[in-house]
Amino acid sequence: MLLEQKLIEQILDSALETGADFSEVYIEDHSASVLQSVSGRLEKSNNTRSFGVGIRVAKKFQSVYGYTNSKNPEDLIKLAKDLSKSFHDETLTKRTPLMELEVGKRHLVKIKPSEVKIPEKVKLLKEAYKYASEYDEVIKQVICYLVDDEKEVLIANSEGRFVTETRVKVRLMISAVASDKGMMQTGSDGDGSGKGYEFLFDEMDIKSHAESAARIAKTMLYADDCPSGVMPVVINNAFGGVIFHEACGHSLEATSVAKNASVFCGKLGTKVASDIVTAIDDGTIENGWGSANYDDEGYPQQRRVLIENGILKSYMIDKINARRMGMEPTGSSRRQDYKFSPTSRMSNTFIDNGTSTFEEIIANTKFGLFAKKMGGGSVNPGNGDFNFSVMEGYMIRDGKIAEPVKGAALVGNGAEILHKIDMIANNLERQRGMCGSASGSIPADVGQPTVRVTEITVGGRKKGA
Amino acid sequence: MNLDLLFKKAKEKGISDIQIYSSDRTSLSIEVFAGEVDKYEIADTKALTVKGVYNNKMGTFRTEILEDDIIDEILDTIIASAKEIDSLDDAIIYEGDEHYEKLDDLYNENLFNLDVQKKIDTILALDKYLHEYDERVTVVETMYSETNGEVLLKNSKGINLNNKANSAYIGGSVIVKDDFDQRVGFDVTISNDFNDFDIEKIGKDIVDDALASLGAKPVPSDNYEIVFSNGAIATLLSAFQGIFSADSVQKGLSLLKDKLNEVVGSDLVTIVDDPFMKKSSSSRSFDDEGVATHYKELVSNGVLKTYLHNLVTAKKDGVKSTGNGFGGSVSAVNLKLEAGKSTLEEMISSCEKGIFITNVQGAHAGVNAVSGDFSLQASGYLLEEGKKIRPVALITVAGNFLEMLKDITMVGNDSKMSYYGITSPSIKVKSMPVSGS
Repeated sequence: MLLEQKLIEQILDSALETGADFSEVYIEDHSASVLQSVSGRLEKSNNTRSFGVGIRVAKKFQSVYGYTNSKNPEDLIKLAKDLSKSFHDETLTKRTPLMELEVGKRHLVKIKPSEVKIPEKVKLLKEAYKYASEYDEVIKQVICYLVDDEKEVLIANSEGRFVTETRVKVRLMISAVASDKGMMQTGSDGDGSGKGYEFLFDEMDIKSHAESAARIAKTMLYADDCPSGVMPVVINNAFGGVIFHEACGHSLEATSVAKNASVFCGKLGTKVASDIVTAIDDGTIENGWGSANYDDEGYPQQRRVLIENGILKSYMIDKINARRMGMEPTGSSRRQDYKFSPTSRMSNTFIDNGTSTFEEIIANTKFGLFAKKMGGGSVNPGNGDFNFSVMEGYMIRDGKIAEPVKGAALVGNGAEILHKIDMIANNLERQRGMCGSASGSIPADVGQPTVRVTEITVGGRKKGA
Repeated sequence: MNLDLLFKKAKEKGISDIQIYSSDRTSLSIEVFAGEVDKYEIADTKALTVKGVYNNKMGTFRTEILEDDIIDEILDTIIASAKEIDSLDDAIIYEGDEHYEKLDDLYNENLFNLDVQKKIDTILALDKYLHEYDERVTVVETMYSETNGEVLLKNSKGINLNNKANSAYIGGSVIVKDDFDQRVGFDVTISNDFNDFDIEKIGKDIVDDALASLGAKPVPSDNYEIVFSNGAIATLLSAFQGIFSADSVQKGLSLLKDKLNEVVGSDLVTIVDDPFMKKSSSSRSFDDEGVATHYKELVSNGVLKTYLHNLVTAKKDGVKSTGNGFGGSVSAVNLKLEAGKSTLEEMISSCEKGIFITNVQGAHAGVNAVSGDFSLQASGYLLEEGKKIRPVALITVAGNFLEMLKDITMVGNDSKMSYYGITSPSIKVKSMPVSGS
């Protein structure tokens, strides 16, 4: 146990003494390591051990939060009492006795990071370096990162909720730089999992990811600037799902919906996308990158159908915003660590399979941009305007993938683009991402099959399309 | 933690030199929504970062558990890491400098001691001001955030330095709406002097641009003269600041490689790192390696004068560290584009066919720091014959960072420190491709 149950109960009680109606304790013991290799040589080995306690106290819509690294009972009870001072009410809420919730633990891990010695980790970095650097002579630099993360969490609240969970994440990333005649371009690729090191040792195809990073760098090195203008865009599967994540996912989080700051407010049950679009946020996928047994308020993670055949079905809702919205929480509350108060966030979010094939989509596109691999992006949830960059792009001419183009950016509006998806392939894949928002940076999968958008503004350095 | 015990045990285990960097931080943040305190957060955290040299290689361990019984885990992990490190870099623990600048405005006791209720009242007043400012203002959130921090740097070569600083910001975001459009405004003002927080000025900075941009639409794709507002260009500078790092240069990851003493910008461009800047909570008299910081021109009238160095990159290049070793890498303390002589009005009125860009977004993804290419979502105002014609949104502005620096034709006198900690005036660029309708 991360803290004595008796102490946890005292903290929860102290927080309720002045009339708050909810108190919660989140405890985290966290080990992480980041290894970085440059040109095949291990350059950095950064190891972290963190511990912290976050206490949240709420009444109706109002919540206060405090955190500390102290394990000292006096410090923790003082923090709870300090937080409780924000509330003044004669009516006191009585705490429900703690009852440990067991959902049948899933997402089990075979080889925990703490069981792996550093030389074993270094071998993975050397392997990735070898495949990327040997890909082509224009590859002049390869930087690899190996990240692992092991976290024990305990969540208890005044409503009797009590859960514990071990969460493990591992990830290997490769970044290649191609250089020739004074020009330079980068490409990156990698994979990660909510499994342990068994994923990196046995399952991940390190060669294919390393070569993909090198291929992108080389292809973009000799690519022409992307033309600018409005055109059809075919967005490839896997990381292409970042478009949905940015353009729509964030605007479906209660963080923006509850405060009437989202374009999707009041749209439940209405048509928000073309008929062929079904989108899902699923935090239960076995060992998924964004999966967990429980969300960070101790509710079991769920599979949420957000949009079904174009109709808006659900938001992603945390406890406090649920009160504001008069709805039930959806198990969507997440946070980076104890330094953040939790709020509604995505988990593994993707557009579901359609009925077209990849080949049909390309063959049916006379002219446009094929965004084979997306970079990152961002959105303004207030009006849904988004932007994201294309890491590897090609022009489509006469139904065929033609010359590579670099420096493309896609800008548009989330609410509008959902109606403009006119073809969806049957090749759904998900990929790992880190999502930054109100409650910090968290692992989240994005995903989709290959989709076509009838028109989108493409920004590039070359004039005219 | 008993540091004497840590240092003693390190020596026993064969760690030749050791350095600790400890930080002790408290923070307060408050948010107001719909006229009520919606979020209130207090924190007190401590952390210790230990670096140890073993066989001339450096291992690092950061811990928030500060009891003595973690000492063995720290030292054993450092040794296990150092054994595997095979980079050719030297591991250096610094012996210290003769002189460290004395910075006395970094910590303002009055800010820390000011009653919390006064801080809450101020953002409630800002909330009220914004709600009453214009009937098109619909959603308002205001916030106050404050951090107080103390760091201690101590090593086995005799360095023993400390720094205490605090800082706060007040800001807010609004959604403004008319029958046809919805726009968002956001701004913050940063200072550790509460007297700098002028509700009216902060309020106008948050809401005016949002109101003026209602009805914004793209412009036809073409090349335009571009005026970047001080905030917009700071966002771009922030995304590209890594190119000045000698670590990036040495790894072949910076477009400034092999460009020392060459022209990299127009002669109007002077970029400095000023670690002693007033009213910046980032200001520091020593870096994380214990090297004294100093003022330096990185680009002087368009000519690249120096990269930023830490101990390792400096040794490789045969120069002295510039005191920019932060967080295990290299970065500027307070990056500043020096102000020029033009007023914003002069820049705007000089445009035949241009765009005044007040906001760029997606800088974390839309820039390639290696090639210098960028393509960013932007919004602002269409300019014709020197006049603001109408608001513009959902366009991208694309270019190459160095080409843009060379094409700067006017530099403003309206310097401002941005949310990103970069200080910059507005600038005008000759011509850039814009993608829109």
